Amino acid sequence: MKQALSNAWSSTRPFRPVLAVVIILFALFAVWQPGFRTGLNIQNILGSVSVLFVVSMGMTFVLISGGFDLSAGAIAALCGVFLGKMIEGNIMPAAVAVVLTVLFGAVLGGAANGLFVGVFRLSVFVVTLASMTALTGVVLIWTQTMSIYITSPLILNIGVAHIAGLQAPIYIMVAVFAIFLIAQSRTYFGRDIFATGGSYTAARLSGVRTERTIIMVYAVSGACAGLAGVIAVGRVGAATPQVDAGLALQAVAAVLLGGTLLTGGSGSVVGTALGVLFIGILQNGLNLVGVESSWQYVVTGIILLISVMGSRAGGRRRGSKSSTASDCAVPTPSVALGTPSLGAPSEDTNAG
Amino acid sequence: MRGASQGGAPGRATRYRAEMMLDAPQSVPVTPLLSMTGLHKWFGGVHALCNARMVLEKPGVVHALMGQNGSGKSTILNVLSGQLKPDEGTIALDGQQVTFHSPPAALAHGISMVSQETALAEELSVAENVLLGRRLVRGRFGIDWGATRDRARAVLEQVGVDYDPSCPVRALRPDQKQMVEIARALSTNVRILVLDEPTSSLNEEETRSLFAVIRRLKERGVSVIYVSHRLPEIFEIADEMTVLRDGVTVAEGPKERFTARSLVEAMVGAEKEVVDRRVGTTDAETATVLEIRGLTARGALENVDLDVREGEILGLAGLVGSGRRELLEVIYGLRHFEAGTITQSGQAVQREGPRAAIKRGIGFVPADRKTEGVILPMPVRDNLTMPATYDRQRLRNPRSRKIEDAAAAISKLLSIKADLRAPVATLSGGNQQKVVLGKWLIRTPKLLLLDEPTRGVDVAAKAEIHRHLRDIAAQGITMLVSSSEYDELYQICDRILVLFRGRVVAALPREEATESRLAALAGGASEHEIRATRKAE
Repeated sequence: MKQALSNAWSSTRPFRPVLAVVIILFALFAVWQPGFRTGLNIQNILGSVSVLFVVSMGMTFVLISGGFDLSAGAIAALCGVFLGKMIEGNIMPAAVAVVLTVLFGAVLGGAANGLFVGVFRLSVFVVTLASMTALTGVVLIWTQTMSIYITSPLILNIGVAHIAGLQAPIYIMVAVFAIFLIAQSRTYFGRDIFATGGSYTAARLSGVRTERTIIMVYAVSGACAGLAGVIAVGRVGAATPQVDAGLALQAVAAVLLGGTLLTGGSGSVVGTALGVLFIGILQNGLNLVGVESSWQYVVTGIILLISVMGSRAGGRRRGSKSSTASDCAVPTPSVALGTPSLGAPSEDTNAG
Repeated sequence: MRGASQGGAPGRATRYRAEMMLDAPQSVPVTPLLSMTGLHKWFGGVHALCNARMVLEKPGVVHALMGQNGSGKSTILNVLSGQLKPDEGTIALDGQQVTFHSPPAALAHGISMVSQETALAEELSVAENVLLGRRLVRGRFGIDWGATRDRARAVLEQVGVDYDPSCPVRALRPDQKQMVEIARALSTNVRILVLDEPTSSLNEEETRSLFAVIRRLKERGVSVIYVSHRLPEIFEIADEMTVLRDGVTVAEGPKERFTARSLVEAMVGAEKEVVDRRVGTTDAETATVLEIRGLTARGALENVDLDVREGEILGLAGLVGSGRRELLEVIYGLRHFEAGTITQSGQAVQREGPRAAIKRGIGFVPADRKTEGVILPMPVRDNLTMPATYDRQRLRNPRSRKIEDAAAAISKLLSIKADLRAPVATLSGGNQQKVVLGKWLIRTPKLLLLDEPTRGVDVAAKAEIHRHLRDIAAQGITMLVSSSEYDELYQICDRILVLFRGRVVAALPREEATESRLAALAGGASEHEIRATRKAE
């Protein structure tokens, strides 16, 4: 029992900084502004971050796999339009339309990003930038830059209804979180994501279907963006032609705050949940104490830098063991396997 | 062409020490061009250079620096090129003592190094690379590209090549890139050019043209320090040699004093007492596990034949680029082959990738442990169970009791000293290597391919891994072991194939495989030659 507790505690190491920051921030605002810790306000916080939360869950898997997804905001917007067209055109019952929208997001992410990153091995940045740009265009063309107003009660309820005293998006967040937590730590799929991000070659040589894993990761990220699109449409009451290009980057910020590394191979959706919570609390708290809400970006940026620097220093302390002096004493030539090394020739060796 | 035996070569490496004294500076009237003496370098507890010396008497000589992996060659070259500071010892150029704090400082004294991996800016043009780090010719409107190209062309002419100066370097072949690097060194008024294994990626013809360039450099009074493991090359191009072993200069002098055999003996040292050799021959009656006929892979393997029987440990010896690594890659399905057949237990094998190989019961322990062997941030447990669970349903739970117990059992069997939940990155090199080996043992494999199975692990872990390999073979698991360490091969293998430039040049049974013989064969000396020098004694 004691062992299990200490294991649980040691597994929190990567997101201890964000946990501490969230607690401090919460305490600070709670003392400063009594209105902050009312149940209603806390529900407001959770509801306001629900779109970001769902996108960030998918983004966590993408980052663990060693990737990146700039297109999440564009996919979310396009899925919103897809949903609006289906419902307002009376093509599908609303419940079926929601499921199809999430699947549509998965197909978009898997085909537009997963295929090019996983199979054709193109740069993640280029691929997701390209799909973000192209899909933004599709949204504008398809909507004719007009909002589609939603009248379907089911969709509107997804955004704002209260069930047993709690906002509907909160239930969605809890369900998504549970699914990701299980996928992360209790499935071979989750293990494959960590393996592929940790070392693509080693994973492949050990029998992991690395290409398929990467395609699936982007499909999952696309599905999350699709669901986020549904929630956003429900909360606004319309599918708007505006693409929130910052959504993907904000999700990456939340994931990094949660202790997941940009280099891949490690991370946790628990940390990401705390990262999203941090952003929500900051936004809401600053509002309540009357600070201009744009300050939240400044603070988020600074905290992001500090937390990444902190986790790198910690990583260096723990990782310093791996390269000992005896490694240099026996220089052994090594030949890269299959793919040539992409290391850029360093300038300083040539300086005359 | 080859070193003529002068009335019987000295048989013991220790005698070279006496010869070394003959060449000591005081007996030579002129001051040597370069003299590195009394060099010591420690890396932690490892004494990489231990009173090493290397002396280049005069300009315009080709000086071969010889020694096995880990003998201190790279260390002494890094000291010379200013990348490392020696803990003790002096370097003198023309009798003047010098200290190099950085590569540019060495460069300023005319010492330039062309390393194994080319250090060129791939996207820049030949002209820019040749003149890299120097100020380009400036005209009224910034850089004068016409004049820059002319200057680069002039330098390239000195090397004797006529590449288009505006061509990007990435479009060149490896040997052409090397020429660009040599040209770059020339553009800095080089006096001593270091070539570190320049021919390891060149074919016969390209080697010829490199040698022509080296001879031209000699005429211009440039001295060349030449590092290679290929003996015929050394005897062809070198004028004098320095032989290092365990950080000590064990022999030096003009080429004529050496024969292929005496050179190898100086590099290898006295034959070590075999304390821990594999016993028990494999029964010739057991089934053939792997049969390869006429295997040819472009640029790597030529007409390779190979048979391995059940429970046999077959060694693959050869230099880097000899094809032993590529052979393992072909068998594991990572590399295309143009011709030939691979038959595993009677069934023909195509190139199908790692998963198909795993399915057929093949395991692969790659040479580069940290990027290909283990997944550093992952727990030991997950690293161990990965190949065994390659075909599980992806949504099933990997935390099943059965698979965890299997991982624990393997960890105990190989005495991996680590918490199974700890990331592999926190383990020592030896324990990491045991993880790479252990992950293939959960599902008993039929054939295990090992590339450099003990690279970068300490002596104790090495002996332990060797013991495990023998135990595994005793259970009927067949193994192919590729290694650059000859003592490792003759300690654990039943039979050893020697590869040279993609061909199998010798197949030695355990009894006949000595370290010096393996080294000579891997270096390209023919069986015939070895016998001839042996008779001459």
